[in-house]
Amino acid sequence: MTAYVVQRLLLMLVTLFAIITLTFFLMHAVPGGPFTSEKMLQPEIQAALNAKYHLDDPLWLQYLNYLRGVLSLDLGPSFKYAGMSVNEIIAEGLPVTMKTGALALICVVALGVPLGIVAALNRNRWPDTLVMVIATIGVAVPSYVIATVALYVFALRLGWVPTFGLDDWRGYFLPVFALSGFWISFIARLARSSLLETLQQDYMMTAKAKGLKRGTVLFKHGLRNSLIPVVTVLGPVVANLLTGSFVIEQIFALPGIGRHFVLSITNRDYTAIMGITIFYAAVLMVMIFIVDMLYLVLDPRIKYRADAK
Amino acid sequence: MSTPLLSVSNLSTSFFTSRGEVKAVRGVSFELRAGEILGIVGESGSGKSITCMSLMGLLRSSGRVIDGSALFEGRDLLTLDEDELSALRGNDISMIFQDPMTSLNPTLTVGEQVIETILRHRKVTRAAARARAIELFELVRIPSAAKRLRSYPHEFSGGMRQRVMIAIALACDPKLLIADEPTTALDVTIQRQILALLKELQGRLGMAVILITHDLGVIAETADRVLVMYGGMVMEEGPVRELFARPSHPYTRGLLASIPDLRDDTHHRLTPIPGSPPDMLRPPKGCPFAPRCAHAMAQCNAALPPLYDAGPVHRARCWLHHPQAPRVAGITAELVPA
Amino acid sequence: MTDRMTDQTVAIEIAPEMWVPATRDGAAAEYIAAPSLTFWQDVRKRLWANKPAMLGLGFIILLVLAAIFGPMLSRHTYFEQDLKLSNVPPLFQTYAVTDSAGATTRFFFNSGNLNLYEVTPSGEVAGLLRPAKKDLIKKQQQFKFGDREVVLDTAKQQLSFADGAALAPGGWQWNMSNLLGTDQLGRDVLARQLYGARISLTVAFVATLVNFFIGVFYGGLAGYLGGKADTIMMRIVEVISTIPLTLYVILIMVVFNSGFLSVVLAIGSVYWVDMARIVRGQILTLKQQDYVAAARTMGASTPRILVRHLLPNSVGPILVTLTMLIPSAIFIESFMSFIGLGVTPPEASWGTLTSEAVETLRAYPYQLFFPAAAISLTMFAFNFLGDGLRDALDPRLRT
Repeated sequence: MTAYVVQRLLLMLVTLFAIITLTFFLMHAVPGGPFTSEKMLQPEIQAALNAKYHLDDPLWLQYLNYLRGVLSLDLGPSFKYAGMSVNEIIAEGLPVTMKTGALALICVVALGVPLGIVAALNRNRWPDTLVMVIATIGVAVPSYVIATVALYVFALRLGWVPTFGLDDWRGYFLPVFALSGFWISFIARLARSSLLETLQQDYMMTAKAKGLKRGTVLFKHGLRNSLIPVVTVLGPVVANLLTGSFVIEQIFALPGIGRHFVLSITNRDYTAIMGITIFYAAVLMVMIFIVDMLYLVLDPRIKYRADAK
Repeated sequence: MSTPLLSVSNLSTSFFTSRGEVKAVRGVSFELRAGEILGIVGESGSGKSITCMSLMGLLRSSGRVIDGSALFEGRDLLTLDEDELSALRGNDISMIFQDPMTSLNPTLTVGEQVIETILRHRKVTRAAARARAIELFELVRIPSAAKRLRSYPHEFSGGMRQRVMIAIALACDPKLLIADEPTTALDVTIQRQILALLKELQGRLGMAVILITHDLGVIAETADRVLVMYGGMVMEEGPVRELFARPSHPYTRGLLASIPDLRDDTHHRLTPIPGSPPDMLRPPKGCPFAPRCAHAMAQCNAALPPLYDAGPVHRARCWLHHPQAPRVAGITAELVPA
Repeated sequence: MTDRMTDQTVAIEIAPEMWVPATRDGAAAEYIAAPSLTFWQDVRKRLWANKPAMLGLGFIILLVLAAIFGPMLSRHTYFEQDLKLSNVPPLFQTYAVTDSAGATTRFFFNSGNLNLYEVTPSGEVAGLLRPAKKDLIKKQQQFKFGDREVVLDTAKQQLSFADGAALAPGGWQWNMSNLLGTDQLGRDVLARQLYGARISLTVAFVATLVNFFIGVFYGGLAGYLGGKADTIMMRIVEVISTIPLTLYVILIMVVFNSGFLSVVLAIGSVYWVDMARIVRGQILTLKQQDYVAAARTMGASTPRILVRHLLPNSVGPILVTLTMLIPSAIFIESFMSFIGLGVTPPEASWGTLTSEAVETLRAYPYQLFFPAAAISLTMFAFNFLGDGLRDALDPRLRT
């Protein structure tokens, strides 16, 4: 048990470290430097800026300083917004991204899993066909297409929901729908195939042969086992909800971190790009860790295998 | 003779696949007395497992019982609805399966898997069910029973898992235990232990057992009576001694010849039966074994033989037992006229 | 025992000739009813029978042909602009006005930009009609056709003659000069679609190939070496697989700047992890099989074993992963282009086309249709094909 937790924690830290390092050196590999892409600056201003942001230090020193900053949860100043730190940019966008992201995640689990179960239990009958058709559309049509089509139909044409912003609670519908559409479909398909496979397992036969009631067989023996693969993909789901928010926040003009990230890319705000990437990675690592722990609860074999190593 | 515990007659089961109807079981009849061990032997695909799954109502979705009856204590198992059947399963009739590695739910403790069975069929408290589970673990000789209840299946060896399966099967003192190839997936030494345990528990608890196997050696050691199945039909049936001493069907003879006998130092060559079992999608019109039978006659391909008496309690489905048929040494030489 | 009684009563008379040994052909005993197929024959048979997969394959073939030859056949180029003819729809309602001299002018009204365009009888867009007079206060424009005057009320979006009689549309006309209309810079949408397909597909195929080679090489090496090397290599894969890869594609794009090559490089270098895992897994299982040991004892060299024995057996899962990787590459490319990090204008990909269409969504919603449909249909096609392949290759489904 502890061996597994420690192992996962270590992996998480190593990954995070790898991400910080990779991001740092990638951003410093940009030809020229952070201020060259804009209009030509006078040399003395350039020098002053470089000194201000410690860009004239040797790279390894910059790296160590940055690492120290990250460890003390300081992601440094923004290059483009004078007087604003990356931390502040993140803090500003976080509530919006968190809210839409959390709602989307809830939708993914609360809709995807039941849809998959319904489909599996009605295999080759109309509910199955219906779910699979919807899920196939959801998996194939890119989120930004869903988002723009939904925006046009429900906001511009029908006027049911606002076209942008979250001031009205109805404003959440479209972003959350667009953000979660793919993953609801994906999870529905996964849950369906996983449950179908579980239903074929020998231990399901044993459960029936013991005379257990249909509900017990299905929920206690079938569902729990078939959810294991679903839980495994929740980590990547969170990652993709985060990156998916880049376009969704842009389309619906939501002031979230994703929009800030895209803005900092167009502005070449390197510290912001770096900081937000690391922030994303950290959030993701924590989510993956949570998923791993959930996995531990669901599947006792994991614990055993990790301890045996 | 008292009324049998289980009396199956003319059981027929088919699977309806995309390629057509697969007739897996074709008119199987047999009886089982309380406390008796009946061995059902046959190659894979002979219909022996499907026969038992039909009785338990555990056929996969494409399978259906199309004819026959199976009276268990006066009730026809084949007409019971799912609720009645599930109340019976694990209670009066229980079952153990071939592969103990996959037959236990990997995500529940073995204790829970025993306890839930008890709680399903008995009105007892959880604590009482737990006590009973410990008792059962001791019965099947799982060491430090109380502690092992909290273990998961993957923490057990194959033999121990089969003991857990037996404990689950015995949880509610069944009158009938169906053991579907209970030792096939185990090491040879473990096989013997499990068989000995089964036999001992059967004697102690007085239940009837149907032992499904493809291994005549297992039958010889364990069963009282044997049913030899081939192509979804009973080919021969009789008491173990009788059947081993005077196999009255060429197929049974073939099976016996293919068992290596270590005590025999004459070094007979092992003779496998040539050919493969019939395609049950289009079963032959005559005897299903005829294409592989050394004694096949024109009649064998023309019509299905009935079950003939080969002795007072011994029957065989072979045309050689017809009064007009030519005598064949070893099969019909000592035929008792009907 | 009812059964016995019925059986014994069948003591039927049987003709003596029935007791002769049965004639049989040697093959009868070994007869197996289902015709046996080789693995690949079976796969092909089942893929053929899978209609969505075949439909997907057909669509992909058509698409590839269109992407290769389409831009050559089109009379427009993807970059040629004509601002006078911007945002022309593919389908419009024409009006006809005949003056007293008998000269008829056909034109249509573009409600998005409130312009009138002259249309030739064959349906070609001839050009913009200039208003003779503009009244900004009353929001009216006057057009002169010979001696007749037509008034366009831009507020009500109505056309009427000078005497107030409304002008009736003369029926729908397909735009023959730009079959799918033009975009906001007056570029031909069809030409840009075809060119976009070319870019998107090229990015997807090349990036997938790059991933394929990296993945097969890495996974193959790890699986083949085994032991410590394998453990370390797989730990690295584990670390990489927890990194949100889209972020890294974005970062790489930032470093290398937007453009076709960067996109290929960025996507190609990041998504090989699954492939590596699958190849390694396949090789680990296959390594234990006897024929590999046999090849080894016969002195076959390591690369030879890898190429001749292991890879052919891993083809199935690799193929499925590849088929699934292509749509994700298309998706990532369009995603990058959509947020402004993909190919640079005037180059077009489905992502930039969609993103351009979104800018004009309010006035010209139909412009979204073509790029959105193109990418969605392509995703469908690849998904269907991938699913079909996986089902066809899954031996558990064999009956």
